[in-house]
This record gives sequence, C-alpha cells and structure tokens, in this order.
Amino acid sequence: MKRKQIFKILGGIIVIVTLVIVGFSGYSYYQYKYSLIPKNKPFTQSAHYINPDESLLNDNFKVCNENWILQYYNTQELPYPNGKNGFRNYINTNYVNRNYTDSGYLNIRFIINCEGQPGRFIIHENDLNLEPKVFDEDLKNQLFKLTSEIKYWKPIFLRGENRDSYMYVSYRIEHGKIIEIIP
Amino acid sequence: MGKSLKLFLNIIVFLSVLSCTSKREQAEDTYERAISYPQGSMMSINGIKRAIEIDSTYEQAVYELSVAYLKRGLPHKWKPQYDKAVVLDPVTRVPWRGYLYLWFYRDYKKAIADFDASDTLTPNFVDAPQGHSVDYWRGIAYLGLNNYEKSIEYFNKYINLEIEDSGEDWVELTAFLYRGIAHYESGNNEKALDDFDKQLKYSRNLSADAKYYKSLIFIDNDETEKAQQCINSAIEDFNLGYFNSRPYVETLRQIYIEDLNQLKSEINN
Repeated sequence: MKRKQIFKILGGIIVIVTLVIVGFSGYSYYQYKYSLIPKNKPFTQSAHYINPDESLLNDNFKVCNENWILQYYNTQELPYPNGKNGFRNYINTNYVNRNYTDSGYLNIRFIINCEGQPGRFIIHENDLNLEPKVFDEDLKNQLFKLTSEIKYWKPIFLRGENRDSYMYVSYRIEHGKIIEIIP
Repeated sequence: MGKSLKLFLNIIVFLSVLSCTSKREQAEDTYERAISYPQGSMMSINGIKRAIEIDSTYEQAVYELSVAYLKRGLPHKWKPQYDKAVVLDPVTRVPWRGYLYLWFYRDYKKAIADFDASDTLTPNFVDAPQGHSVDYWRGIAYLGLNNYEKSIEYFNKYINLEIEDSGEDWVELTAFLYRGIAHYESGNNEKALDDFDKQLKYSRNLSADAKYYKSLIFIDNDETEKAQQCINSAIEDFNLGYFNSRPYVETLRQIYIEDLNQLKSEINN
C-alpha cells in the first residue's frame, strides 16, 4: 500500500515536471519564433536591405559575407576615399550645374565590400521636406556617375578583418547646386 | 495524488496571475527583446512593430522604429515614422527633431524652427535634446547659416546660463570653440582668441581645432613664429585624436589633417 502511494506521488511529480518542461519549451519557442512578428505586414528584410535584382551595378559585384554586412558608422572613420575633403573636392570640381532647378536630397546607397569595392547601388530622391520627388534625369545621372565611378572606398575594419558595409551619400541640393554632402 | 493535483493547479493559477500584465507592459517586454537584436535588422524592426501593435501609444517604440532609417540615408521612411512619435510626445520629439535636422539633414532653418517651437512648448524651460541646451544647438545651427550675430547670441545665452548654474568648467567645450569660430569668421579676432584660449584651458591644452584657428589669427597678426608653433602643436593634437568630430556624420567646420598640413606649408612658405 505504502509502495503504491510512493509510485503515485512519483508519477505525479514526473507528470508535473514534464508538463512544466513542455510548457516552458513551447513558450520559449513561441517567444523566439513568433512573438516578435507583427500580425500586420511583417518586414521581410532588414531596414538597410538593397535588393540585388533592383540595384544598379551589381553585376560581378561580390560581398565577402552576405550574412554579415555592417554599417559605415561601425568604425570611427568615415569610408570616403581620400577623406571627406577629398571626396567633396572631387564632386565639387567635376559636378556641373546645367541650369538645373531641382532642390532636395539625392541619396545614393550602396555596399562597400571588404576589398573596398562599391556595388549594389540604389538611388532615393526626396525634396527638401523629405517627401519623394523625381530629380532631373541628367542631374541624377551625373551625380550617380560621379559617385559610382570611384572604384575604391575604405572598407571598415572590425575584429581584425576588413568587412562589408552599407554606405550612403546624400547630396543636399538647392536649385541645382550642391549645398551639403552627408554624412 | 490529490495533493499533487492541487499543487499543479496552484502553479497554473500562479503563472496565470503572473502573465496578467498590462498592454503597455507587454509592449515594453516585446520592445526590450526586439532591441536586443542589431538595430535595423529584420528581427529588431519586426519586434518593435509588434510592440507598437500591442500598444500604439508606446512612444519609445514608435520613435525607435524610425531610427534605423535615419542612420541609413532613407529619409522618406524616417520622416513619416518620426512624425508619429512627434504626435505622441511633441515636448520631447520636436526639439529632438531639430537636432536630427541639424546633423543628419543639415537643414539649419528647419532645425532652428524646431528649437524655437520647443520654447513655446515648454515656456520657462530650456530643453536639452541629446544632452545639450537648445540654445547651444541654435548657436551651431545659426553658424551653419553663417548668421554670426545670432550664433554668438545663442552661445552667449547658453554659456552664461551654464556659468550661472554650475560654473564655467561645466560649459560644453565646443561651445567655446564654435563661438570662437563665429567671432573669427565675423572678423573679431580678439574675442575669437579669448574663446579658443578658454577651450584650451578646459581641455588640458589639447585641441587641434582651437590651435588651428589660433594659428590663422596669428597669421592675420603677422606673428609667424607663433602661428608656426600653434600649427605644429595642432598637428600633434590631431594625431593624438584631439579634434572635433561626431558619430555618424561629419561635424560642422570639421578640420582634417590635410587642412593642418596645408596651413603649415603656407606658413613655412
């Protein structure tokens, strides 16, 4: 009788422990897998993702690690070739304002791979109120050509190695004139 | 067996009570887990969005969802999301937006408009987005517009209030630097020199920027030897990392080693 009771208690404990473990595992799995997913239109890519199929100059461009592309600001020095001054001088010397009337931000985003090569470019056009707009085609092509013609940028160096990173150049333009180059 | 069942039910009831958290607590919990992922990653932005779904008035999450777009050069995605945060908490987010317009968009006029609006939103209180008074930020924004009179006016306001409240050694060092630059660019070398000396006084005599500008002033005064000493010292400070810069973007009137080397060669010739 006594032995039977002990088995019952042990059985009960085993059932409870099993239920707790199963419940905890299920809860953890849910938390990990689903609880951070919005019910309405979840994002399917990261904020910085550039779709290779929609990008410019992606042919023959290779990133060193597709699964770990950092941001340009993950190290202290900005990745401009010849420094920010050098880049600014290069753009200001070569850009020609052909009586453009556009104002706004022409942003060119791209990836600098671990070897310093740029590729996978995408252009975003916004007015000075940060609303989407369309720039004069010639202005856009000119700045894209100048920006993308630079063949070497400083790759970011992290944890003992050069790494791929996302970079952008934002041209603040007023009446066709470049007022600021950001970042 | 009866006792075991009772114990099990008690545990279930206890866990149920624990899980009865408010919407805001659930949103906060989701948000905290989301931001443990790298900023802008899919898990991060999805988790933040989920937190907003749970509690659409959770301003911190609404704001945070905009940040990755700001830092990645996606203004058309940053602005509509940030505007939602402004609606939820204008007192915090209007002057903060001024700071973002100032640095990430170099839109000095919009930045000033937001700093001015914060005066109306919080009368008799000086807001301090990102840890600095809106007067300090206005000083920089007006310098960006080359409006030296207004720039100096706001730097004076900030510096005088800081001295009154806490003492001169509590003044943000770049306020002296930028006020000095405003004086220098508006032709008041004497006052500029005072400010650059003040910056050096409180930064253990280490500042490539202050020494670079002092060197320019010495050139104006035909004091070549002093200009030479200053620029050599500025280059040393620069190489040691003592120069004005900021994360993510180039700072206003940022100097580079080539600027210093060029000035040095001009002095030597």
